[in-house]
Amino acid sequence: MSELLKITGLRVSAEDKEILHGVDLTINEGETHVIMGPNGAGKSTLGAAIMGSPEYAITGGSIVFDDNDITEETPDKRAKHGIFLSFQNPIEIPGITLSSFLRSAYEQITGERIKLFEFKKKLGAAMDILQLDKSYADRELNVGFSGGEKKKAEILQLLVLRPKLAILDETDSGLDVDAVKTVSAGIKAYKEQTGGSLLIITHNTKILEALIVDKTHIIADGKLAAEGGAELIDEVAEHGFENYTG
Amino acid sequence: MTKLNILPLPTFARLGVNYTEREVAAFKREEITVPDGAEQQIIKFVSPCSETVVTVGKGAALKLVVIFADKQSCAARLVTTLDDSAKLDLIQLYLGDDTVSEIVTELKGCKAAFTAEIGYDLGAGDKLDINLVANHYGRKSMSEIAVNGVLRDNAQKTFKGTIDFRTGSAGAKGSEKEDVILMNEAVVNKTVPVILCDEEDVEGSHGATIGRIDEKHIYYMQSRGIPEEKIYELITRARLSKIIGKIGDEQAEKRIYTILGWSDDIE
Amino acid sequence: MKEKTQVADINRSLYDFRYDEDESSFLDSGITPGIIREISAEKGDPEWMTEFRLHSLEIYNRLKMPDWGPDISGLNMDNIVAYIRPKKGMQSDWNEVPDDIKETFEKLGIPQAERESLAGVGAQYDSELVYHNVRKEVAESGVVYTDLESAMHDERYAEMIRSHFMKLVPPTDHKFAALHGAVWSGGSFVYVPAGVKLEIPLQSYFRLNAKGAGQFEHTLIIVEDNAYLHFIEGCSAPKYYEASLHAGCVELYVGNNSTLRYSTIENWSKNMYNLNTKRATVGEGGKVEWVSGSFGSHVSYLYPMSILNGRGARAEFTGITFAGEGQNLDTGAKIVHNAPETSSYMNTRSISKSGGISTFRSAVTINENAVGSKSAVSCESLMLDSISRSDTIPSMVVKTDKADVGHEARIGRISDEAVFYLMSRGLDENAAKALIVSGFADNVSKELPLEYAVEMNNLINLEMKGSIG
Repeated sequence: MSELLKITGLRVSAEDKEILHGVDLTINEGETHVIMGPNGAGKSTLGAAIMGSPEYAITGGSIVFDDNDITEETPDKRAKHGIFLSFQNPIEIPGITLSSFLRSAYEQITGERIKLFEFKKKLGAAMDILQLDKSYADRELNVGFSGGEKKKAEILQLLVLRPKLAILDETDSGLDVDAVKTVSAGIKAYKEQTGGSLLIITHNTKILEALIVDKTHIIADGKLAAEGGAELIDEVAEHGFENYTG
Repeated sequence: MTKLNILPLPTFARLGVNYTEREVAAFKREEITVPDGAEQQIIKFVSPCSETVVTVGKGAALKLVVIFADKQSCAARLVTTLDDSAKLDLIQLYLGDDTVSEIVTELKGCKAAFTAEIGYDLGAGDKLDINLVANHYGRKSMSEIAVNGVLRDNAQKTFKGTIDFRTGSAGAKGSEKEDVILMNEAVVNKTVPVILCDEEDVEGSHGATIGRIDEKHIYYMQSRGIPEEKIYELITRARLSKIIGKIGDEQAEKRIYTILGWSDDIE
Repeated sequence: MKEKTQVADINRSLYDFRYDEDESSFLDSGITPGIIREISAEKGDPEWMTEFRLHSLEIYNRLKMPDWGPDISGLNMDNIVAYIRPKKGMQSDWNEVPDDIKETFEKLGIPQAERESLAGVGAQYDSELVYHNVRKEVAESGVVYTDLESAMHDERYAEMIRSHFMKLVPPTDHKFAALHGAVWSGGSFVYVPAGVKLEIPLQSYFRLNAKGAGQFEHTLIIVEDNAYLHFIEGCSAPKYYEASLHAGCVELYVGNNSTLRYSTIENWSKNMYNLNTKRATVGEGGKVEWVSGSFGSHVSYLYPMSILNGRGARAEFTGITFAGEGQNLDTGAKIVHNAPETSSYMNTRSISKSGGISTFRSAVTINENAVGSKSAVSCESLMLDSISRSDTIPSMVVKTDKADVGHEARIGRISDEAVFYLMSRGLDENAAKALIVSGFADNVSKELPLEYAVEMNNLINLEMKGSIG
């Protein structure tokens, strides 16, 4: 399998404070990786840095995706290469509907125009998987959505945009049992429909039950503290992160 | 030269917002009367130098849509008097060129209500000067003013909006909001949201946002593959489409989309 | 109702006392080149200053009265005695200050305040500084705090004053700036050298006492790079029945990466026309912080202006205005963004009561070169009864697309629910409302040193007494 994402010696700062102190990570095509770690370890920072968040500055190292060095690229370029981040706290954007936003994103990423009718069909199919009412398409983006609805709307975008790599940042946090099931079904559908790679940031193991995990990374204090297979998840579930924090 | 669009209470002279001076021919006068209890809807594409005097009777309602689309300079005045429980829903769109527009609404009656949805999309050489005044006299009268627009190239725009709570307007509420997106370094935007208050038991608010779109919004949309310029265009269109959608007349809406060159939005 | 007048009058008198003028000599009312020369000669002005005064007078005669803002037709310019000579010269020892003046200051609590850790007090009694003292350690750090006249005659500062005096507020700015240029007298000069961060605030307390007298003090503060200063200006003047004029001028020069905080609680007597001009220029990475409380005067025009001239310069304005019976207070701020990545923040509250008129007026200008600048303005107004008036007239002029300007304003009354809640906990209606108004003013009180916050709270309570008929 060929390398999809290769992160080398990545250092990341926010407001002049270094959060990640040199992280290496490689994800191959079609693989599912899990990142775990205690609160404040830098898990979300890693996801945000891969997406190119303006809140973080990359001060060292490189990110190569699909043979392109994207370390300096703007988020929209990264998205066009095939990276997708499901936000932990998706922002509310008043005035613009979910449907018109997602249609525009779809056209930008695929580089081709899509008829409204055709797009609505695509969107409708994805909404069915996530059990989202069709009326959400014409609602303002995330405005007034509950926590669970926001997470579903993120997965909806994932299903429509079909990226090569989906980073899911705490997508399961704050969801009730039913919502976790629905979201998991959405993630499974993405995997089945596209064969894409997954990078799942979580400190919860529920969402992982329906997936085959290839690799697990544990981040503590801004560094990779351990790496292993799916068995590491069970170990963390049992013992927590005690062994990894200094 | 005639002084037009006079700010009800003048402010610092140097800002150049107390009035605007224009060479104007005589105003063509038109009267609209909505009798007590009636409901009416009027859509008009404005001709230059017109004064429209509107009277809305007790319990009557008027939805008035005014589109400024002519490519010629224009001065317009709209004066509306609202009786008890009368309602004016005003939708105005400014699609370019040199326009001086005054909107005066006299909320004379108890529970008179005035809503205004104003949109503009201005480009090279365009100038717009709006002076909106809502005078609250009636008890529990209500006004709600929303202005959304975009300035491109070297467009210049002044929006002055005044909510005036006169003595006796107890229980009145008024709000005003302008959101402006600036797309070019050569634009000049002036925003003057005024609240005058001579009555205790009222609620007034105004807000304005001018300039760039929130960085966090941009990041979110960029992360879905939409480049920054496209994001601005998308939000601009979304804001104006929302106003256009409220017109509720397919033909008029189509005509506006054609003028804007956005016909592909309504396939 | 009876208690209302009694309480208000008794308490007011704390601020409205005066002693008879005996030895002070008055000059003729009205202003002519002759009077200007006389003032100038008496003060021993250098020649350039005499010329400056005469030139300003010409401008004054040429300019029109402002044609916007509150009515000032009650102000008879021919009646203003431009200058009152002090009884004695500068004092550096409190014991040598004449007894009646001392008593006035004792009543206002000035020396106590100084003893309680304020770094220096310059008190202006009528037109001249009569008492002046800067703590030793402050002086040793190289900080200069003196009256402007002395500094002008000190060869170390003479050139500095000449090159800064009324350069920020030129006499051509408006009619009262011109008047100020012609007849200014007294005031403070502060110089903070580069790298000096003064931890304790400097304070001055201005008073205006003689009947019909104008006060034209000039404050000039120069803060060099990488320095910090907090300057507190307090004003209280006794009550008279003939209209008095205050046309002071404050010029602040804030160097690169320096911060200057300028706090004012104004409580002029309620027949005063307060036409004051305050202005600051801020260098790269520097910051000016205005904290302003306006309680007194009959009519006020007061809009401190911040000119952000250096990249990344910042301005903050926090203000409260309380307009009671017979008062028309027109206050606010102006901010000019003149460099990239500058930012400004304005937060004001105004209260109108017993027929008082308060107007919030602002102007934020983002110029073409102020790319990447941000401004946020928030103002709230409270109407305490239906015979008062409250107006809000903000303006925003933006000349670049790379800016982020926000504004929000709100006007309303005290919520019945809040009053009910407090009353259900045992407060009477007056106390409940006073408490709510004090809370409303906390944007300013929490920015002030404790003793000033307490004084401000007392002023609010005084104004609130008997507010319910």
